[in-house]
Amino acid sequence: MEAQPDLTQLVKDCSPIVRFGLLDDWLALARANSLWPLTFGLACCAIEMMAAGASRFDLARFGAEVFRPSPRQADVMIVAGTINKKMAGAVKTLYDQMPEPKWVIAMGNCAISGGPFVFPGQYAVVEGVGKLFPVDVFVPGCPPRPEALIEGILKLEEKLTGKRRWPTVKPE
Amino acid sequence: MDDVFHGDLIYLFAFAVAGLGFALGPFVVVYLLAPRGTRQAANKSRQAIECGMDPIGDAWIRYSAVYYLYALVFVAFAVDVLYLIPVALVYNDPQFVAGDFIEMALFVGILSLVIVYAWKKGIFEWKRNQTSPNS
Repeated sequence: MEAQPDLTQLVKDCSPIVRFGLLDDWLALARANSLWPLTFGLACCAIEMMAAGASRFDLARFGAEVFRPSPRQADVMIVAGTINKKMAGAVKTLYDQMPEPKWVIAMGNCAISGGPFVFPGQYAVVEGVGKLFPVDVFVPGCPPRPEALIEGILKLEEKLTGKRRWPTVKPE
Repeated sequence: MDDVFHGDLIYLFAFAVAGLGFALGPFVVVYLLAPRGTRQAANKSRQAIECGMDPIGDAWIRYSAVYYLYALVFVAFAVDVLYLIPVALVYNDPQFVAGDFIEMALFVGILSLVIVYAWKKGIFEWKRNQTSPNS
């Protein structure tokens, strides 16, 4: 019943024709430290995302504060909240319109798996953004604290550059 | 003489090739270094509207261009000001006297009649063209 994503399109290799190892490393470093998220929130997780961007938690410290209003200028899609089936089309369109290289952070339990909306017979919610397109980082929580989102962005940086630039906080 | 001529031709050719390379080179570099396409979930990468929603109707609609005559008059006077700049530059020179001021005043005065003419034609009134069906 549900339209499955066209996997041939999603696994398409979008890497450039010519690649230079050193240039790729430098680009990865630049991208990792200036990730531009797409300004869009779907539900309550977006409130925490806004808090992460505002002065107290200050995402700008990690270079990810430039929330872009247009998907054509964004690198990271932070899927913050429940994806209704009605909204899935719009989210997929936004994903399509982001230029490569692009990454996706699934923020909160709804975006990861549907969260509390998973029950027999539910018909309204997409159970995880992974059903729509590939996800790079999962940030669990209901909602995750802003620190958790920041940690997710640091994890994404780690994925891009292969090494962690910031110390890991040990839970007490 | 002939050698100089051919040397100049070579220079000309080299500069033309360098200019062409400077113009076309970035396209080639971008083609080689840019990502090939972008991953698709709904094949809507080329949709013009960037808010996720499907656009309603076409962007190629006709709309009234009431303002264009006004804009044309503005351009005419912008060029007029351009002609006044050399006058302003040499005006401090003592050899320019009252006669030249009168000449400039005549020049500006005759051009100013354009405003009167345009006013008479009614281009300062916001009036839609009744003959256009879609205005």
